[in-house]
Amino acid sequence: MKRMVSRPIYFISSVLTMAFCYVFFFTFFNEGQPNKMPIGIVNLNNSALSRQFVRNLETTQQAQIVMYPGSHKEAREEMQEGNIYAFVEIKHNFASDAISNRRPTITFYINDSYLIAGSLLLKDITYMSAATSIGMQRKVLRAKGMDESRIIGIIQPIALNTHLIGNAWANYGTYLLNVILPGILQLMVLLMTIFSIGVELKERTSREWMEAADNSMFAAVTGKLLPFTVIFTALGIICNMLLYKYMHYPMNSNIGWMYLATFMFVVASQAIGVLLIGITPVLRDAVTLGGVFGMLGVTFAGSTFPIEQMPRGVRIFSDFFPIHHYFNIYVNQALNGVSIFNSLISFLFLLSFIILPFFVYNRLKKAAINQNFPIK
Amino acid sequence: MSVKQQNTSIFKTLISVISDTLLVVKQEFKTMFKDRGVVILFVLAPLAYPILYCSLYLNETLTNVPIAAVDCSRSQESREFLRHLDATQNVQIVSNLSTLSEAKQAFDDKLVHGVIYIPADFSKKLNTGEQANLSIYCDISSFMYYRIINQASNNCMIDMNKQIQVKRLNAVGITGESAQIISNPIPFDGQILFNEGAGFASFLLPAILMLIIQQTLFLGIGIIAGTSRGENKFHVLVNSTVHRGRTIRVVIGKSICYLLMYGAWSFFILGVIPRAFNLPHIGLPLDIIKFMIPYLLAVVFFSMTVSVFLPHRETGMVVFLFFSLILLFLSGISWPQSNINWFWRTFAWIFPSTSGVQGYIKINTMGADLHRVSFEYVSLWIQTALYFATTCWAYRWQIKKSCKKQLLADELPELENNLL
Repeated sequence: MKRMVSRPIYFISSVLTMAFCYVFFFTFFNEGQPNKMPIGIVNLNNSALSRQFVRNLETTQQAQIVMYPGSHKEAREEMQEGNIYAFVEIKHNFASDAISNRRPTITFYINDSYLIAGSLLLKDITYMSAATSIGMQRKVLRAKGMDESRIIGIIQPIALNTHLIGNAWANYGTYLLNVILPGILQLMVLLMTIFSIGVELKERTSREWMEAADNSMFAAVTGKLLPFTVIFTALGIICNMLLYKYMHYPMNSNIGWMYLATFMFVVASQAIGVLLIGITPVLRDAVTLGGVFGMLGVTFAGSTFPIEQMPRGVRIFSDFFPIHHYFNIYVNQALNGVSIFNSLISFLFLLSFIILPFFVYNRLKKAAINQNFPIK
Repeated sequence: MSVKQQNTSIFKTLISVISDTLLVVKQEFKTMFKDRGVVILFVLAPLAYPILYCSLYLNETLTNVPIAAVDCSRSQESREFLRHLDATQNVQIVSNLSTLSEAKQAFDDKLVHGVIYIPADFSKKLNTGEQANLSIYCDISSFMYYRIINQASNNCMIDMNKQIQVKRLNAVGITGESAQIISNPIPFDGQILFNEGAGFASFLLPAILMLIIQQTLFLGIGIIAGTSRGENKFHVLVNSTVHRGRTIRVVIGKSICYLLMYGAWSFFILGVIPRAFNLPHIGLPLDIIKFMIPYLLAVVFFSMTVSVFLPHRETGMVVFLFFSLILLFLSGISWPQSNINWFWRTFAWIFPSTSGVQGYIKINTMGADLHRVSFEYVSLWIQTALYFATTCWAYRWQIKKSCKKQLLADELPELENNLL
């Protein structure tokens, strides 16, 4: 236990890393959604009608017109250089065709190599193009002398209202930070657990460590990891507070459930850490394993790409990641605010991780006493 | 000194430089393959990680996302709409319920990821020429659900709108071509470029592949440096017996070794993997090779500089692994680069991966020429030069420290003798 203060790496890793991550992610996504992303207009027409359309585009939330390339080729090259994420092409005879009923087409090009920027721009530009068309229809129908109350029924017979459950503004930070921050927490818990036990084995001090615990592996491991449980739970709860209290991200049930989930999540991750160092009581191998496991956790949480849509073979692995269950609890409790009974199974899963260290109990004890594994 | 003598002496120096450098290369290769930790990072990780990630994200988009329908209208029109929606590739109506609260239950139990609600007056409004409303409710635990459900319902709505429009125009006496024109006077055509299917893998994996190259190289070099520090008796990075003289020979020798290793891996990760997993690969191979040279150099020298400050072999892993995630965001692939504030954008520039990811995606995914990515290309060369200088400086400092300690250790017994 004393070792915790003797090596700066413990302190640096636990507190500074998490603090850095909090500062980084909260300042990085402070906008919520990327707004005013650069787009270009190839306006070959330059009529009142096309300028009206361009002005409408300017008013959308996500797009900002930063350039007017002279040709399709030029615009495409600007896109390849990454200066614009989309461009709209308005043809030469746009206005005259529109007036003389020849149905000119507005064409726009979206760069989906940047999927987030692309999707958001696609939505806004599509909306504006449709609005332009609707405006034109309205003008024509009015000219035909149609009753105003009937016009709306003709230009848009069915309207669609979209409701987002929980995250009404589609805030990107909400969606991402609730996965990334626990993901990094899991990674750090794993590495620190492995490191703190592994370093005893590596430096051949494990016998003294066992003696301090009266040769009880259980006491030795518990004593070693308890301070970390406290630190990481505190860091996790600070994270919860930042997310739900300071940033006011959705929290639709009692925040206490998230605190409980955080605590169990930390303990479950520690259990995995003990399991890994038990399987290979060699510090460097276990650290590498822990690293691989921790990095995969972010993928297996199931937020970036839903687990159920992954190939069948890899789907079952998600249950082995504490973060997957933590994420389920978050979705149920914080985002959707459903009954706690829906999350019960996830809590049970988290609880069951505690069994894992007992599988390596004897192996780890032998390793600690006999010191029969290579140190590097 | 005659010219001939001078020539032979230059020649001799040259030979000694080359043989020294080669010695360093040989020794570095030996340490690399003796150390299991390094083998894991330099061989296993670059082999397994790309394959693993590519198989996880094998399905580019979501198909048949389960949704519930609450059809309070129970009319011919509402059934037609639902049939169209169900027929899309994106969503699948798995349950027909009669109230929204039933649907909420199904949603809470995670049986469905979205709900489409058709109000009771839907058919009546359609038949009296008013505007009818539809509502969808989307799960936003993942953005993919929202995008897919919204897109599918929108497309169905637009299709149905067109039919009804023409019908209604016919009813007021506008028929034929002019009804078509009025119903859609300015059609629009949205083209998605470079990632036509809007696939998740095609978007994310190229960036991850470039990051894997940097991060495994960085952590591997960190382990090698940490080990040699931990193991040689003076706790300095470069053992005094290794280098036989000049700093630059050590630095170049080591970097040649890493470059040979990662030249081969780059071919596998960027050449073979995208073709095997059908990721975008429209860039000219020659441009990618030209671009990778400064990328690898910058990564190697950057890692060597940082590695000087790592006290133990595991330190790099414990302290810097989480940074891979931060680097992914700094690269500006998901959150657009234009919307990153100036502070983080400057910070991001320190790391080769930022320019590396951007440049690679522009060449490989968007088919840009090398001169279209000149900003990234030049950045990487500047970083190469900068980090080469810092590496030399740091290594010289370490070598001096090592020599001093060696000297001190040699003198110590004598000193002790004298004192006695």
